[in-house]
Amino acid sequence: MPPIENDTGKNDLKSQIQLLIDSNQVMVFSKSYCPYCVKVKDLFKELKLEFNAMELDLIEDGTNYQDMLLEMTGQKSVPNVFINKTHVGGCDNTLQAHKDGSLQQLLCAETEAYDYDLIVIGGGSGGLACSKEAAALGKKAMVLDYVVPTPKGTTWGLGGTCVNVGCIPKKLMHQTAMLGTAIQDARKFGWEIDEKGEASEQQRPRRSRRGDIGPVCRVKHNWDTMKDAVSNYIGSLNWGYRVALRDKNVNYVNAYAEFIEPHKVKATNKRGKETFYTAEKFIIATGERPRYLGIPGDKEFCITSDDLFSLPHCPGKTLVIGASYVALECGGFLAGLGLDVTVMVRSILLRGFDQEMANRAGEHMEEHGVKFLRKYVPIKVEELEAGSPGRLKVTAKSTESDEVIEGEYNTVLIAVGRDACTDKIGLDKTGVKVNPKTGKVPVSDEEQTNVPHIYAVGDILEGKWELTPVAIQAGRLLARRLYGGGKLKCDYINVPTTVFTPLEYGCCGLSEDRAIELYGQENLEVFHSLFWPLEFTVPNRDNNKCYAKIICNKLDNDRVIGFHYLGPNAGEVTQGFGTAMKCGATKEQLDNTIGIHPTCAEIFTTLEVTKSSGGEITASGC
Amino acid sequence: MSMRWCSSTQTKNLERWTLSWRTASKVLRNALLRTGFTWHFSKQSFLLSILMAHRLLVRRFWTLSSKDLRCLPVSSSFSTSLQSSRVPVLSRSRSRSLALASLRQAASFNIQDHDDFDVRVIKSELPVLVDFHAQWCGPCKILGPRLEKAVAKQNGKVTMAKVDIDDHTDLAIEYGVSAVPTVIAIRGGDVIDHFVGIKDDDELESFVSKIIGK
Ligand SMILES: Cc1cc2nc3c(=O)[nH]c(=O)nc-3n(C[C@H](O)[C@H](O)[C@H](O)COP(=O)(O)OP(=O)(O)OC[C@H]3O[C@@H](n4cnc5c(N)ncnc54)[C@H](O)[C@@H]3O)c2cc1C
Repeated sequence: MPPIENDTGKNDLKSQIQLLIDSNQVMVFSKSYCPYCVKVKDLFKELKLEFNAMELDLIEDGTNYQDMLLEMTGQKSVPNVFINKTHVGGCDNTLQAHKDGSLQQLLCAETEAYDYDLIVIGGGSGGLACSKEAAALGKKAMVLDYVVPTPKGTTWGLGGTCVNVGCIPKKLMHQTAMLGTAIQDARKFGWEIDEKGEASEQQRPRRSRRGDIGPVCRVKHNWDTMKDAVSNYIGSLNWGYRVALRDKNVNYVNAYAEFIEPHKVKATNKRGKETFYTAEKFIIATGERPRYLGIPGDKEFCITSDDLFSLPHCPGKTLVIGASYVALECGGFLAGLGLDVTVMVRSILLRGFDQEMANRAGEHMEEHGVKFLRKYVPIKVEELEAGSPGRLKVTAKSTESDEVIEGEYNTVLIAVGRDACTDKIGLDKTGVKVNPKTGKVPVSDEEQTNVPHIYAVGDILEGKWELTPVAIQAGRLLARRLYGGGKLKCDYINVPTTVFTPLEYGCCGLSEDRAIELYGQENLEVFHSLFWPLEFTVPNRDNNKCYAKIICNKLDNDRVIGFHYLGPNAGEVTQGFGTAMKCGATKEQLDNTIGIHPTCAEIFTTLEVTKSSGGEITASGC
Repeated sequence: MSMRWCSSTQTKNLERWTLSWRTASKVLRNALLRTGFTWHFSKQSFLLSILMAHRLLVRRFWTLSSKDLRCLPVSSSFSTSLQSSRVPVLSRSRSRSLALASLRQAASFNIQDHDDFDVRVIKSELPVLVDFHAQWCGPCKILGPRLEKAVAKQNGKVTMAKVDIDDHTDLAIEYGVSAVPTVIAIRGGDVIDHFVGIKDDDELESFVSKIIGK
């Protein structure tokens, strides 16, 4: 058919095309042989969307259509896609619109308006950060947060794990224990402490490193005072979060959220009242909760870290089950308060961390009176006597033989890991994929799940760090990308972290074990040294227990790919080196850095001995 | 005046109540609905509801300061409200306490809920100092008693409402409380002044005087 020259013919054609666009929710102008058109049509088929495709190569006046489309849309090529009367564009535009969710938005545009631009499920580190950022960028945002009480009935306020039952109470209780050590040290520095007080029954005298009972100063620790002080501080933080949400215009609802449709959640409050909310986009940030053992008596008689920090009584003689960082940190500070602590370990300490460092941290705990029962798993827990605390009998069996052992404790703390809270939030109603083994949610490098309008941040992510600052960073950057034109993605590489065992362990980058796996031993150089912090010298303790190690990639200019520090103030020491590693620090640059004397961190500017040389690493003088 | 006294009086009244369960149920239903309880129609759960209501009432009465109770004919006020089936018990007792507050110049009281705030603060004829506080807040524990003293000195020209921000978060959020202690002065339903943080006795006294327009 010849090109149309007259206006009437043109107008006819135009209204024909317009009719097609207006009467089809999804209209594709296509050519049957074009691979890009096939791609787009396949996408719509996959999304189970009805669409009308007009194959321009199969109709008579196809070229006229194409010319008119050029006039109408500025686009001549096919596919030429319209959704709900809006011109989307070609193949790339359509795929991109699907990826960033605007396709879904167009599809829903006519049928419904959502209550919110964004609903965030979970008001913890990640959820609060991204909801506040989204609201600051002018979006209508809501946060739904609800704490399901523990089997013991413990519950808490707004802010998630870190504030209520994680980082904050943990570090404060660790600090409590450190102060106990400081009181012991203080005598050596000339402080005279009134020794009339008596240690409480539950507290054992502190042992010196060699195990003999040294000159002990009988200071008592009062659990209630500590617990109340910690709870009060947390109370003020909860309030601070609440106020911040108000000030940032985030609508906060204290209710348990569950998807019932891809764009709709049911929120159930304390009184069981159900309310429904819809949103264009969702962010799941529901975090994790402690795992139980699934053995008789675990939920009835044992506690987890969720209960420990607000326990109404001193836990007394405690069995910690597990060797996670939570287990070692809790066991560590309880021992530091003077309690009799045993840690039951199935296999290794601090799975995923550098094993040499983990073992050194564990050895230090052992030397300071924490007992380790290695290669045992508990099989049942029975109550011998109720009380605050009561008495429990724990039966455990060896992982290597038929041996069965029993022990009596006041408190049993389970710290064998945490499970993502993704199983009871109606994800099946949305099509969001979850790793069936771990419950974790796989996401793209932009925290997008397989369902384009649903994102996830924080502890529930598969293969990502479970740390508060990571959740915050990911949440904030996600909101900026979604609503502020941001481009920056969360960088999950070289994240510094610290385990607050009695001797703290800070690290950044790869563990030695992992580095060897990735690069091969021959391509690595490991520099290391023991050291004796000046503050330990006068009290004469822990000589040659602190340890520094860096792993360098010989193939890349001796770039530091692993940083490990076991010693006081590990968090403070590691933070700055984290920045250095982000900047790609090399061994040479560390050597060229002038140390601050006298400090512990300065050791990293003078590391000389390589592990491969087998050279002497015990500390000498100044 | 003891808690026990308070509750035993009410138990007696409750016995009287059950005699006319139609009337009582209406009263109780109103009362329960106002306090967010759901209403059940079975007789068994009715009794349960009575117990709950009883507990609530005890709490409400108990939170009137002991001064109030001393001159407040609790039992008579209670039975009055029982006789009239139309008026919800709680609001009756509340308006009663309101009337008394102006008559008897009640010093300070704890806010129970939004409605309570409405009646005893917003609709109060006297200016009211609202002390937003929290259990975890050390300075609040110092300011509270000081403020109470300053209010008491005014011989009933001003009252003091205590609001625990964790129990009544919505109120605190509504009134823009960011930090505690926050004290706001309300007259005729309007906020006329406020301060945040701690003050000494003299400062409090002049704050209170200013509020009552001395
Ligand atoms: C003992 C302990 C110590 C820790 N110490 C540190 C540390 O020192 N440093 C560090 O960086 N990290 C630490 N962490 C880890 C840190 O707490 C987490 O990485 C962080 O809190 C994760 O944030 P999130 O936003 O993913 O989830 P969370 O902070 O756990 O928040 C999730 C919130 O969602 C709520 N929720 C769950 N399901 C629903 C639902 N269906 N509806 C409504 N609300 C829901 C939860 O109740 C919770 O409030 C520690 C953790 C523990 C347990």
